[in-house]
Amino acid sequence: MTVTGEASGPRTGPATVAVAAQGVTKVYGTGDAAVHALRGVDVGFHTGAFTAIMGPSGSGKSTLMHCLAGLDTVTSGQVRIGDTEITGLSDNELTLLRRDRVGFVFQSFNLLPTLTAEQNIRLPLEIAGRQADQELLDRVIRTVGLRDRLGHRPAELSGGQQQRVAVARALATKPQVIFADEPTGNLDSRSGAEVLAFLRTSVRELGQTIVMVTHDPVAASYADRVVFLRDGLLVTEVLRPTAQTVLDTLMKLEA
Amino acid sequence: MIRTTLAGLRAHRLRLLLTALAITLGAGFIAGTFVLTDSLQAGVTRQVAASADRVDVAVLPRAGHGKPGEAELAAIRRTAGVAEAHGLVRGPAALVGKDGKVAGDTPTTGVSVVTGRLGRTAMTTGRAPAADGEIALDENTARTRGFAAGDTATVLDSADRPHTFQVVGLFDVGVDQELAYTGAVGFTPDAARRMTGEKGFAEIDVAAAGVPPERLKAAVTAALGGAGHRVLTGDELAAELARVNGGNLEFLTLALLMFGLVAMLVATLVIYNTFNILIAQRTREMALLRCLGATRRQVFGSVLLESLVVGVLSSLAGLAAGYGLGAGALRAGTAFGLQSAPVDATLTPRTIAVALAVGVLVTVAAALLPARAATRVAPIAALRTQSEEREFRAGAARLVIAGLFLLAGAGVTVAGTRMPPGEQALFVVMGGGVLIFCGVLVLGPVLVRPLSAVAGWAPARLFGVPGRLAVDNSRRHPKRSATTTIALTIGVTLMTTLSVITATTRATYTAQLDEQFPIDYLVSGQFGRADAGGALPREIAATLRARPELASVTQVRGAEARIGDAKGRVVTYHGPYTVDLIQGGMRDFTAGGALIGSNTADSLKLKPGDTLTVTTAKAGVQRLKVAGVYESGKALVSGVVVPEGAFETYFGRLDDDRVLVGARDGVTAGDSRKAVEAAVAAYPTAKVVSTTEVRGEFDQALDTALAVVTGLLGLAILISLIGIANTLSLSVHERTRESALLRALGLTRRQLKRMLSVEALVLGLIGAIVGVVLGTAYGWAASRTIATDVLFRLPVGQVALFVVLSGLAGVLAAVLPARRAARASVVGALAAD
Repeated sequence: MTVTGEASGPRTGPATVAVAAQGVTKVYGTGDAAVHALRGVDVGFHTGAFTAIMGPSGSGKSTLMHCLAGLDTVTSGQVRIGDTEITGLSDNELTLLRRDRVGFVFQSFNLLPTLTAEQNIRLPLEIAGRQADQELLDRVIRTVGLRDRLGHRPAELSGGQQQRVAVARALATKPQVIFADEPTGNLDSRSGAEVLAFLRTSVRELGQTIVMVTHDPVAASYADRVVFLRDGLLVTEVLRPTAQTVLDTLMKLEA
Repeated sequence: MIRTTLAGLRAHRLRLLLTALAITLGAGFIAGTFVLTDSLQAGVTRQVAASADRVDVAVLPRAGHGKPGEAELAAIRRTAGVAEAHGLVRGPAALVGKDGKVAGDTPTTGVSVVTGRLGRTAMTTGRAPAADGEIALDENTARTRGFAAGDTATVLDSADRPHTFQVVGLFDVGVDQELAYTGAVGFTPDAARRMTGEKGFAEIDVAAAGVPPERLKAAVTAALGGAGHRVLTGDELAAELARVNGGNLEFLTLALLMFGLVAMLVATLVIYNTFNILIAQRTREMALLRCLGATRRQVFGSVLLESLVVGVLSSLAGLAAGYGLGAGALRAGTAFGLQSAPVDATLTPRTIAVALAVGVLVTVAAALLPARAATRVAPIAALRTQSEEREFRAGAARLVIAGLFLLAGAGVTVAGTRMPPGEQALFVVMGGGVLIFCGVLVLGPVLVRPLSAVAGWAPARLFGVPGRLAVDNSRRHPKRSATTTIALTIGVTLMTTLSVITATTRATYTAQLDEQFPIDYLVSGQFGRADAGGALPREIAATLRARPELASVTQVRGAEARIGDAKGRVVTYHGPYTVDLIQGGMRDFTAGGALIGSNTADSLKLKPGDTLTVTTAKAGVQRLKVAGVYESGKALVSGVVVPEGAFETYFGRLDDDRVLVGARDGVTAGDSRKAVEAAVAAYPTAKVVSTTEVRGEFDQALDTALAVVTGLLGLAILISLIGIANTLSLSVHERTRESALLRALGLTRRQLKRMLSVEALVLGLIGAIVGVVLGTAYGWAASRTIATDVLFRLPVGQVALFVVLSGLAGVLAAVLPARRAARASVVGALAAD
C-alpha cells in the first residue's frame, strides 16, 4: 500500500509535510552483487508528528532514514525536506541543509568525548555560527533534566544521560525534523523509557517533528504513527500504536 | 600465532607504511654515509697504491730531525741493488696570479717533478717540465687562477724575486692534502731546489735493480747509517699514505653518523608512537586473541614479530636507498670536481650489517614497551562495545623523575657554562642538554595541555568550531601528542641551537673586528713567510702615506723573543694608533717600558710597575717595566708592545708585518681601494684586504656551515613530520565515527579538513615552541663554552621562521590524513563498528 502526504495525521491543524519521499530506490553494488535496499518508497512525515519506521532486519529502514536525512544519496526518486528537493544537492549543500534544518540522534557514539554536555548541546549551533535561542535552550535543558550535569564530559554520564544530551542537542537548533536511529538500542529499559518520553514531550510541547527508526515495539508505541517496511518497500502503517498492535503487525509481516 | 601476525600485518599495510618510511630514511642515511666514505676510502687507497707502486723503497725524514740531503742521496745511489734514486724537493714557491699578486693566502708549494721509472706525478694535460724555464701547475690552481698549458707564469723564489716560466702541463695532486690546500707548482728537480731554497729532500724514492724491496730496504738503511731517517718499502709507504689521508674521511664518517643517529633517535620515537597507537586501536583484537586462548607471551611475541618484519623490510629498503644516496653523492662529487677521478660506489658487508642491525634493533626496541602494553589487555575488553577514553593523570613518579632529570640537567649545564671555555666545557654542557632532554621527554605528556593552550590560542580563535575542536583533540592523548611533538622538538632544538651559536659567533666576531680594525684596509703578506721579520718592505707604508686619499697609515712589526721563560712575540707600531689600556697608562711607555696583554699579565702575575724580562738574540736580557695592560684579543696588536726605538735596539731594522690603512673621510670606497692597490702594485707579496671583505668571507663561511648542518638536520625534521602524519592518520582512523558524527551535525568537508590541519598545526607549534626554548638556552650555554665574553644574539627572525615553518610543515603532514577523513562516507563511518 501507499501512504501519501494527504493521509490524515494524528493531530488536527495544518497538516504540512516536513519530509517526503517519492519513488525512492537505493541499490548498493552492481551486477550480480547488486543489493536493492529500497525498491521505490513513497512516504510523507507530517510536521509536528512523531513517526516510527519499523521492519525486520534488512528491510531497509536505516537506509530509508539515511536517504531522508541527506546522509546518503538515492539511486532514483526524490526526497524533499520542507520545500527543498534534496536529491541532486552537492555534498556542501547537503551539509548546510543538515546543519540548519535536520537534527540527529544515533544509537551510540552520539557525543564528542572531548566536549562537556553543554558544549555538545551547543555544538551544532556553533558549527553553524548561529546565536543560541537562550530561552529555548534553557527550556530544552530543563526538560531533559540535566541542569546539574552540564559541565560533565560524556565519559562521566550514564548511557541514558548521554542519550538525553544527544536529544537536547538535536532540539537546540529547532530543526524541521529530527531523525533518531535506534535511540534506545543501547539503553536499559528505564533509561530507554525516559528518552522516549522525552522525545514525545518535545513533539507535544515544542511541536517538533521526529522520525525514529526502531525495531523495538515498545519504543514504537511512543510514536503517533508507525510505518512498516519489508524488503525495501513500505507495506503498511499503524496509527496511534500500542506495543501490542505493533507487535501483531510485525508478526504478520515476518510470517 | 605467526600466521595471525602476518595476516594482521597485511591488513595494516598502509598504517605501517609511514613507520617503515621513517626507518628507511634513517637506515638509508646511515648506509649512505658508509657507502660514500667507503667508496672514497677505496678511491684513496687505489690512488695511493697506483702512486706508491712505482717506488720500491722510500726514505722519509723522521719528525723533528733534519731532512735527508745530497750526501744521503749519493750514498743511496752507490748502494748495491739500487737502479735509480731521486730526491723529492718540496718548499714554498709563490705563484703570482694574473692580477700581479701572489695567489692564495699561503704560498703555493714548489715540488720537483721526477720523470721516468720513479715518476709519480700524474700529468693530466701537456707534459712534465723538462727544462729549467718550464713548470707544471696542479689542475685546481690552474683552473682557479686562470692558467693553461702554454701560458707564461711568474713564480717568486725564496727571496721573493720573480722568475718567469712557461707552463707546459697540468698535473693532479692526488691524495696529497697539503698540496691540495696550498696548490702546487712542479719544477725540474734543479729548478725546484733553486726556487724553494730547500737544501734537503722531503722524500727520497728508490727503484730496485732486481732486488726484493725488503732486502733493498735493509741495504738502504745500512747505507744511511745512523742518520735516523725512516726507510719504508713501497707497500709500507702506500699504507702510510692511505692512513694519513684517510683520517679526514674518518672525521667525515663520524660527523655524518652523528646526524644519522639523530635521525634514528627521531625515528625511534615515531615507531614507538605508531606501535602504541596501533595497540590501543587493536585492544579488542588483542582481547579476542586472549579470549581464544593466546597467552600473554604469545601476544607479546606477536607484536614483536610484527615490528621485526617491519624493521627488516624497511631496513632493506633503507640499504637500497642508502646505496643510491651514496652513489648519487659520489657522482655529484665528480661532477662538481670535488674528487678528481670517478669512484664506484662500494657496498661493504659492514655497511649491510650496520644498516640492517640499526634499522631492525631500533624498530624492535621501540616496539618493546607497546608490546608489553598489549599483554596487559584483559580478555574481557573484547566484550566492551566502546573503548573508553582514559583520562591522563600526571603521576607523582613521573613528576619526580622529570624533576630529577631537569634539576640534574640544569645543574650540569650551569656548571659547564662556568667552566673555562673549551671542548671540555662544551661536552659538559652537551651532557646537561641530554639530561634536560630526558626530563622533557618524561614530562612531555604533562606539558602538552598547557602548551596546546598556548599554541592553540590563536588557531582556536581564528578557525571557529573546527579550530576549537582541533585544539581539544591535540591534547586528547597527551602521551601520544607528546611523543609526536618531541620528535620534531629534537630537530628544532638542534637547529635553534646552531643558529643561536652562529648569530652569537657572528656578532662577537664583528664586534671584535670593529674593535681590532678601526681601519678600512689591511695590507699583509701571505701566511707562513714572516718568520724572519716582516714581509712588507717599509717603502709600502711610505708610498701609502703619500696618497692624499688615505688618512692614517700604521705599520706593525714584530719578532720572536723569550718573554720570561717562554717563547713569545714582541711587537711595535709606527703611526697614529693608541693602544686601549685597561690598567696603567701610556706615561711610562718609553724606552725600557712595555705594554702587555691581559693574558700575559694573568699568566705571569704582572701589574703596571712590575718588571718583565725579555731576551733577544741581538740585545740579550732586557728588564722592562710594565707601563700598562691591554685586553688580550681586543687590541690591534698582540704580544709585548715596546716603543719603536727600543724595538730596533732589540731586533734591528725589520720590515713590516702589516700595514693598517684608514681612508680619508669623504673618499669613496672605490677610490680609496684604488689608491691602496696602486701603492702596493709593485710588491707581489703584499695583499690588500678590506675589513668589509674579511667580514664578508667570514659571514659566507658561517652561512655555508649553517646551511650544510641545517640540510643534514632536515632529515630528522622530515622523519618527525612523517611521525606527525602517521599519528594524525592513525587518529583519523580511530575517530572515523566521530568525524562522521560531526559531518552529520553539519560540519562541511572543508571544515573537517581544516580541523585536522589545525590539529597538526598545533602539534607542530608545540614541538617548535619546546625546541626553540631548549635551543635558545643551549645555544647560549654552548656559546659560553666558546669564549667567556661572547655577545649573545638570538636570531629572532630565524627562530620565528623555524616556528612558522614547523607549523606549516605540520599542516602539510595533515594533508593526506585530512583528505582521507573528508572522503569517508558519513553513513559508512557511522555504521562501522
